Order: sequence, then structure tokens, then C-alpha cells
Amino acid sequence: MKKTGIFRGLAALMSFLLSISVIVGNTLESFSTTIDTALGTQSEMMVTDDKDAVYDRFTPPAELLNEDGTGNSHALIQAAMDLNREQAAEGTVLLKNNGVLPLASGANVTLFGIRSQVPILGSSFGVKAFGGFINLDEALQNNVTDFAHHITTSLSQNWATGQIERGYTTGDWSGDEFEFDGAGYKVNPTMTSIYTKLNETYLHTENAGPSEEYDPGEPSVKEIEGVNADFRNSFAQYGDASIVVIGRPSAESEDYLPGGIVAGLGAEEPIALTTNEKDAIALAKECSDKVIILVNSASAVEIGELKNDPEIDAILWIGAPGSYGLLGVADILCGKVSPSGGLADIFPTYNMSAPAMQNMGNFSYKNAADVITRENSSNYIIEAEGIYVGYRYYETRYYDAVLGQGNATGTAGTYASGSGWDYDAEVAYGFGYGLSYTAFDMEFEGEPVFNVSKKDDVTTATATFNVKVTNTGNVPGKKSVQIYGQAPYERGGIEKSAIVLLNYGKTGLLQPGESEVVSVDVDLQYIATYDSSYDNGDGTYGSYIVDPGTYYFAFGNGAHDALNNIIASQGVAVENLVGEANADYAFKTEITEDTLSRTAFAYSKTGTKISNQLDYADWNHFQEGEVTYLSRADWNGTYPKTYSDMTLTSQEMIDYLNGKYYTIATDDDTSGIEWGKKSDLMFYEMAGLDFDDEKWDELLSEMTLEEAQYLATFGGPSIPGAESIGTVETYMTENAGNGIAVNLNASKDTEAPWNISPEDPNGNWHPEVFGSSPLTAASFNPDLAKKLGEFIGIESLFTGIPILWGPGLNTHRHAYNGRNGEYYSEDPILSGYTAMEFAIGALEYGLIAAPKHYAFNDQETNRAGVAPFMTEQRAREVELRAYQIAFEATKYDTEDNDAGMRGLMISFSKIGPVECTVSTGLMTEILKNEWGFKGYAVTDIYDDFDLYGSVLTSGTTCYDTRGMSGFYADTTLTSPRFANQADGSAISAAVFAGDANAQQAVKESAHNVLYAIASSNLMNRYNETTHVVKLNTWWRTAYHSAIAVTGILTAVFAILFVLSKRKEKEA
Amino acid sequence: MSEFMKKQSVGAYFNVIAAILGIVGIIAACVCSSMTVTYALGNLGIIIVQGVLGIVLACAAVVLPNIFGNHDICSTIAVCVSIAMFTAAFGQVLSERILLIAGLFSYDSVNTVGWQVFYVTVVSIAAFIIGALLMIIGAFTRSVKER
Repeated sequence: MKKTGIFRGLAALMSFLLSISVIVGNTLESFSTTIDTALGTQSEMMVTDDKDAVYDRFTPPAELLNEDGTGNSHALIQAAMDLNREQAAEGTVLLKNNGVLPLASGANVTLFGIRSQVPILGSSFGVKAFGGFINLDEALQNNVTDFAHHITTSLSQNWATGQIERGYTTGDWSGDEFEFDGAGYKVNPTMTSIYTKLNETYLHTENAGPSEEYDPGEPSVKEIEGVNADFRNSFAQYGDASIVVIGRPSAESEDYLPGGIVAGLGAEEPIALTTNEKDAIALAKECSDKVIILVNSASAVEIGELKNDPEIDAILWIGAPGSYGLLGVADILCGKVSPSGGLADIFPTYNMSAPAMQNMGNFSYKNAADVITRENSSNYIIEAEGIYVGYRYYETRYYDAVLGQGNATGTAGTYASGSGWDYDAEVAYGFGYGLSYTAFDMEFEGEPVFNVSKKDDVTTATATFNVKVTNTGNVPGKKSVQIYGQAPYERGGIEKSAIVLLNYGKTGLLQPGESEVVSVDVDLQYIATYDSSYDNGDGTYGSYIVDPGTYYFAFGNGAHDALNNIIASQGVAVENLVGEANADYAFKTEITEDTLSRTAFAYSKTGTKISNQLDYADWNHFQEGEVTYLSRADWNGTYPKTYSDMTLTSQEMIDYLNGKYYTIATDDDTSGIEWGKKSDLMFYEMAGLDFDDEKWDELLSEMTLEEAQYLATFGGPSIPGAESIGTVETYMTENAGNGIAVNLNASKDTEAPWNISPEDPNGNWHPEVFGSSPLTAASFNPDLAKKLGEFIGIESLFTGIPILWGPGLNTHRHAYNGRNGEYYSEDPILSGYTAMEFAIGALEYGLIAAPKHYAFNDQETNRAGVAPFMTEQRAREVELRAYQIAFEATKYDTEDNDAGMRGLMISFSKIGPVECTVSTGLMTEILKNEWGFKGYAVTDIYDDFDLYGSVLTSGTTCYDTRGMSGFYADTTLTSPRFANQADGSAISAAVFAGDANAQQAVKESAHNVLYAIASSNLMNRYNETTHVVKLNTWWRTAYHSAIAVTGILTAVFAILFVLSKRKEKEA
Repeated sequence: MSEFMKKQSVGAYFNVIAAILGIVGIIAACVCSSMTVTYALGNLGIIIVQGVLGIVLACAAVVLPNIFGNHDICSTIAVCVSIAMFTAAFGQVLSERILLIAGLFSYDSVNTVGWQVFYVTVVSIAAFIIGALLMIIGAFTRSVKER
């Protein structure tokens, strides 16, 4: 080949490489924040030149700092281990115990089930348990961690091969190991090695996920024999007890589905026990006459047959306990801690018996192809169970069955009953239920104290129940005090659950013989009923109603026990009940118009008149009479059918589904909305100011419309800076409810005096280590939830993250939601109070806990836009109540401080046919006006880009455009991401120029976002000298170098080519 | 015409294939942009312009050596710029689809429509990149047969 050709080719090659280098560089810069998180780099840094008066608002506790003020990573990890251990010990629920537990130290035990070696510690994707962990073997028999060899694993798809592969959640661990006091057992090494070997092919991980066709992957006896045929010989030496672990994982974006189990496993449903699991239990029985089952799952595994099996001695529900939580489980097993948890979800004998299960999964409108033009708008679910979610269904139907009303004993919805519906057959373990190693006497200490007051239109009505708890057993223990209530119901009236949790508290550790009076404050609003047909007399409908009549309150070991106590107090003979009952544990009171008005709660705590805001949530609102919601007036006749073939005929509904919500105005008078005003007021001066402080008006007026729009457009992990008010682009948010998803050595706040250096031996510790949310809820311990919030707040200081995408606050509508591990409970009161305590604790360290997904993210199947249809009563009394409690946080309100959560993430899903992100009823009327929410309300990732005007005028404060923020940098409002608007509008900095409502909305959004940030620990770093500097990360250096080298080489080869060509010609 | 064809050498064929791949890349980009409203490419216009320029220059790189001889400066510029155009078009498609791709391989793996869009996108990306690579190979070789 001639030189000319070689130089020509090389010039072409270099021009290609140069182009690639430029493209790669542009892409990296566009997504620099995301790249930083993924690679652990820091491409930009917030720097404050004047170090005076910074880092003094929020500081970590002294015990987590070294003498020089830097962070003590060892102390931090030890504290995390201690707290996770406490979380697991308090949340673990003892469901059955014939006396085998506690099992004394020194016992020789054998573990069965592959999950005994690969336990489910967290959720898959989202809230994984990260890093070094303590396995069950270790917790039971060791006394020092082995993080170097035990790092949690996770599955991912190899993009090149499409194969699912297992990898470690963090890199090698060369940091500290920690001493602990385990259970002191000796564990059969034969079975341990067999399961370890089998897991090489089974691909289990500590963070596995469910799937549409699930296989729990439990090895058969034959497979066990295949590894070691003589394994039974080890039983004699390790036969003091058998411990069997049964696991079912949870995960983001995956569900279990009805009938969704791999064929041939011996089970018809994915959460039922398979043949191999039953065989593992049979082996356990062979090994020992003491068999203990650990249920390692956030979902209600179908364990009814184990409950009734006399050869099963004990059952413990351990949830997903987190990286170190098996220490807490070991504490329970060996009796260091007496169990005190109660189930956060009811455990039906068969999950399919829940009415919600009749409408769960993948449903598309029959005529979607003909009428739906918008992406992710063709799927729906009809939540025909109405308010009867979880225990509210089973207990209410039980109550009506006992009283012989409402056709409750009919056959509809029977799965385990012999003939007519039978609670005892249908339910294995009830909501809130849990046993202890000790015994407690409980009694009301005096009559409850009712307190009703009215200020202007707002009625506040509470009842304080004082319950004296005495430990009458032989070991120390804690006891939760769960207060339930029942409102009067008339057949055919508004739907009411026969029993609802109202609030709860927990004793401290009571020594044998010791007593404690636990005071539980109940907000009576939560026993009121939402009546969407109530005529407010002002043209609107819908209000909370307190029906006059007899109200019952009771405590009990769970909802069923409390209901039995109420039934007993109503004069029903105990022998007619399922379980025990004591009328003394119930309290009856008459509520009349004089004591508490029927419309006492017609105004919210902010003074906003309540009325229907979500009419469109109900399918019947558009196409009347097509859906029958479950009613206790006729259980048998209204038990939900499966609505699998709905056809859209309402044009209004079709328009909503196609994204027609809001038209951007072009000729409004906007002169009254001030932008770009000259002032010296800067953002850093707003730290800690009230939302209504007049300085906010001045600050917001300084911003330009474009700046406010940027703030609303490019939210998510980063916020863009706004020059006029002195904010700088800042990385702000990360997952998740079980810890901050940033390694210690990748802090976004390396300027902090307590920063842990990248060279720290424990630097690659990843703080997402805590157990899943149901475990916290099951503790029924508000103090524990607050402690977890505080600790994760401390983590946020060490990692420089002021906003947390968590905790999950959706409702466990049923056991098949793959993401139940991320949400607390089926009960909104338990969820709401747990989240509230968590958020208040986090905020003490300046961390904004932003719960997700507001709201109605009731399943993962079709989550990107599925339309759940329900009544407004159901929406308000179930899903929304959890958020209401957390956002109102009245427990922590003072004269000077309106407490509450300062952030949230909005659901991908719709409410009815309307996207949650554009629902003004949801985002403004209910969230802000009724509940008084002030703060950061972000869309889920990249959601609803095509509804720009609708989203930003609904009350949503910002988009999550993860990785795309940057003001006056790489991003623009004419970004292609917003190029396809459902309303045909063209997004630009001028799009709202003629729309006064939209301008006001983005100004209000800026107010909310900035207010949230101003109350966060980001303000630790702000003063007038704060600015951002770009840092030279390895990837930035790499692409700069690549551009330079390829640019030079392109020029060199081009010149050589020309010279060679000239030579050629001359020759 | 047959005389012209007889005159062409390896480099010209590479350039012709590259031009065809450019057309495939543009068509695939248009298809994946029109599959759903949600995944329409906001920068489709730029992609088409870059693609068309790349095709025109690739064709020029076939024609020009017939006039000026092998490895002439004009066709070399045409080849280099054409490569840059194809690569830029690839970059445009990729930058628009990177969020989709990131989602599909993480939190949004069940997005069946997204996967369909992704597969067509891959065709577009592959066409532009392979087109550029073929032109690089062609640049090392002769475009017309030398007597």
C-alpha cells in the first residue's frame, strides 16, 4: 500500500476517533452527576471560600467523630450495626412457639433451606442491602464479622450477552472487622457447605427479585444428596434444633402475579410453599424434634399449614433484616431479646382470597389501540375492593359473619373455608399479631381522656388512652399497645371497616413484675368516614363524617384480638368467636352532635374546607354503573369480579388518558408577577426562615422566569443554580429508605470538617444497610422509627446528601406487590406514623425525607402509567391517609413550628385516568391546601416529559431529570427531552410568557423547593462566597486527552497525506 | 455506466455500502422516532441533516476519484467529513436514547415498548457506526482502478 493511502486512511480513522471523543465528552458532561454516582468520582465541588459560620447548623454526634473533628468511620459502622440489630430484634414477629424458643446458647443446630445461606437482606434494586454482611451462620455461632468474604450479591443482566449474572454490591472489603456476641450455637457445617455449593448454580443473591413466573429456587433432596449423599449422618451431632429459612424476595419493577409460578414446583401460587420447600421442612423434622421456621420475606407467605402442623414448633417472621439484622434474629432465637413485633400485614391462608387480588396484574382497555394515542396510558386496574384492603376486609367480614349480617358467610371469596366463609380457615395470622417470651397484663388506666376544641372552623378532637402494661412473666420484654376503633355502621350506609388501627405506642424494656403506663393519643379524625356524596351546601360534595352513635375502642394483640374484645363488649358470647376475647379491654362511648359534630372534620387542620378532589378516580364517574365496589351490605353479592375487559366509551376519560389536561395561555396579563427585581438578598440568608416569611417574596422576585423554570425543569439528584439568588448547581438527592446510597469515600460534601477521606480503610462502606420497611413497621415502636431517621440523617451529613428519596409510603394493597419490601404496611396509620417519626428524626440532622410514590403505586406491573380506579373514600382513607399523617405530623407541631415532611416523590401511576403528576386535586388541593405540605415535590425519574405545562401547573414543584441539570451549561429549556408535548406546545424559556397561572405556579414551585433546601443540611455549606468549581476526574481527563491526541493525530496525518500526495505528484 | 462501474475499486464499494448504511441509519432513526409519541426523537431533523450530508459526501468520495484520481485531496476531505457526519448522527441518536437505554437496563426493564424502540435504535446506531468504519477501511484503499 502506498504511503498516501496509509496517511489518508489514518487521517480518516483519526477523524472518526476525534468525533467519538467529542461525543463521549459531551455525553459524560451532560450526565456528569449520574456518572459521578456510578463511578464514585467528583466532577464538581461546592466550595465556600469564607469558612466562618459554615458547618454549624447540623453536625454529627461527637461520638462519631475523631478528636480532630473528622469522621470516625469505625464508630459509624458500629453504630449502624447496633441499630440494624435493634431494628431486626424489635421487628421480628414470633408467630408460633410451643416452648422451643428461646433456644439456649450452646445448642447444636442445623440450618435448612438455601435461604439459610443466601438470606434475603433487602429488596432487589432500589433498597438493596449493601456491602459486607453477617450471615445466619455467623450470627448464630461466630463473634467477629468477616466482611472481607461476605459481601452481599446482586443480579444484573449482562448487556452484551443478555445473561443474568451475579455480582457484588460493593468492591472488595479491606476495612475493619467488628466483634459481636452471637447466639453461641454450633451450626452443622455439612448442610452449610451443601447449600453454599448449590448456590453456585442457583444464582440466589441477598437481593433477589420476584418475577412474573416465579421459582423460589429451593433445591430438592436429590440435589442435596448429589452434593453429599451422606448428609443425614450429620444430623445426630447437630440435632438440638432445626432452623428452616423460607424466603420470598421483593423488588422494584417486578411483581408476583396470580398463578405466576413455574410449573411443576408443587404450588399453584408464587408465595405458596413448593414441594422442595416442604421437603426441606421434612428434612428438618428428620434432623430434630425441634423445628423452627424463619419466614424471610416482606410479603405474606402462605404458612397456614405450618401453623397447624404440630411438628412445627416455632415460626418467626423476620422480614428482610438488612446487612447486620440477622444478629437481631439471633438475639431472638437465643433469648437475649424477647420478641415484641406484630405483623404489619395480615397473613391469609391463601393470598388469593383477598378481594384486591381479583384485580391485580396486567389489564389493558379492550379498545386501547383505537382510542389511546399516549404512551403508557393503556393499562388499568379496578380496585373494586373499595376500602376493604388487608385486615379491613378479613376482620370486617368476620365481624359481620359473627353478627350474621351482610351475607358474610356466603361462598364468594372463600378459598380455605369448607363451605361458607370462615375466618378461622381463611386467615393464618392477623394484622398486628405477635407473641413474646414473657407474659403481660394490660388494662386501661382510668377512662380515656377526650379532648375536643375548635378554633375558627378547625376542630381538633383527640382521645388519650392510658394503658397499664405489667410484665407478669419471667424474662424482660417490651410490649406494643395498639389502639383500635370501631365506628357505628348501618347496613347500606357509607362503608366502614369494623376495626381500624388508630395509633400505637410501646413500653420500654419491662423487667419481670415491672409496670409502665403507655399513653396513646388518638386523632379522632381517623375514625371518621369520608362520604363523597355528602352535600356541602356550597355546590361541592364530599366530607369527613362522624356519624352519631356508639363508638368502640379497644387494645389487643393485633386487630383481630382487639375486634374480639369489642365484640365481647357488645354482648356476644366468647364461644362464638375465633380466638379469645375480653370485654374489659374495650371501651364504649356515645358520640352525639353535642360531643362531636357530624361535620367536625369538614375543615382540615389548615382550615381548608374538605370536598371531593378525586372524582375522576372512580370509573363510574365516567361510565356509570360498570364497576361494583365491595360492600359489607352484601359481601357475597359484591365480592369483586375480575374486570379484565373494560372498554373506554367516555370521551372525557379518553382525553385524560391522552394527556389533555392543561392548555398553556398566550395572552394573559402577567405584569403583576415580578421577575428579575434588583436586590442584594441571597439564598444563603434564608436558612431556617418560615415558609411565610416576607423575605421569600423578595428573593423569588429577584429570580428571572427562566431561572424559576430551570429550577422546576431540571430537578432530581441535582438542582440547577440560579445566579440572581446565589445558588449553585448542587447534587442533592439519593435513595433510599434503608440508608443513603453514597459510599463514605464518595461524599458530595468533601469540604465538611467531618468528611471521611477517600484513603480511610472503611471508605467504601455503603450506608444502605438497614432492614426493609415492614420490619420497622412491625416493631410498632415510634421511637425506633425516629432513631432510624436520625441515623440516616447522620449518614446524610457524612455523604453530603440533603434530600432522601424515601421512605416508601405506598400501601400494601396485597401480598403480590413486588415492592412491598419498600413500603411499611397494609395499614395507613401504621405506615403514616412510622414515616412521620422517620422524617422528623432525619430532619434533626437536616435530611429531608421525601416519601414515595405519591400516590397509588399499588403494583409494579405496568407501573409506568397504569390507571388505578377507586372510590375517593378508598383513596383518602387508605392510601392518602398514610401521607396525610406524615405530612401533617401534628404530634410535632408547636406554636412556632409547623412540623412535617418537606419532600415527596410522585408516582409514575395515574389516579383514575389522570396522571398523579398533573392532578391538581392531588398535588395542590389535598397535599398543599388540606394538609399544608410545603416543600420539594418531584416527579419520578423522567416521568411525563410530554405534559410540561400540566405538570408544572398542578402543584408538582419539579421534574426529576436525573443527570440533566445545569444552568447556563449543557442543558436548555429547548432540550429534545421536552420536544414532544401532548398538547403540541413548544417548550422554551418563553413558553409561559403569556400564562399568568403557569408563571405563578413556577414561582410557587421555586418557593417550595428553595424552602425545603433552606431547612436542610445543605445550608451548612452556604454563604456569600459559595461557588462551584469543576474538578478533574479521571474520566474528564481521559476524554480531554482523547480529544487532544486524536485532534493532533488527525492534523498530523492530514498533513502527512498532503505532503505525501505532493511528493507523489512531483514524482 | 458499465464503464464507470468497471473503473471502480474496493474503496468505492466501501463508500457505496457506507452511503447505503447511512440511508438505513436515517430510516431506522425515523422509524424509531415514529413508533410512539413518547419516544419521538426531538433532534430528528439534525440527525437527518447529518445523515444526508454524510451520504452525499460518501457519494462524492465515490465520484471524485474518477475525476481527480485515487486519494485526491477533495475526496479525502469528503471521506473525513462524511465519517464525522455519520459519527455525529450516531451521537445524536445515542444522546437522545441514553435515558431510555439506562432505564431499560435498570429500573424500567419491563418497558416492552421501550425495548422495541431500543432495538430499532440499535439498528440506526449500528448503521451509522458501521458506515463510518467502512469508510475508514475504504480510505486506506483505492477507489478507482489504476491503469
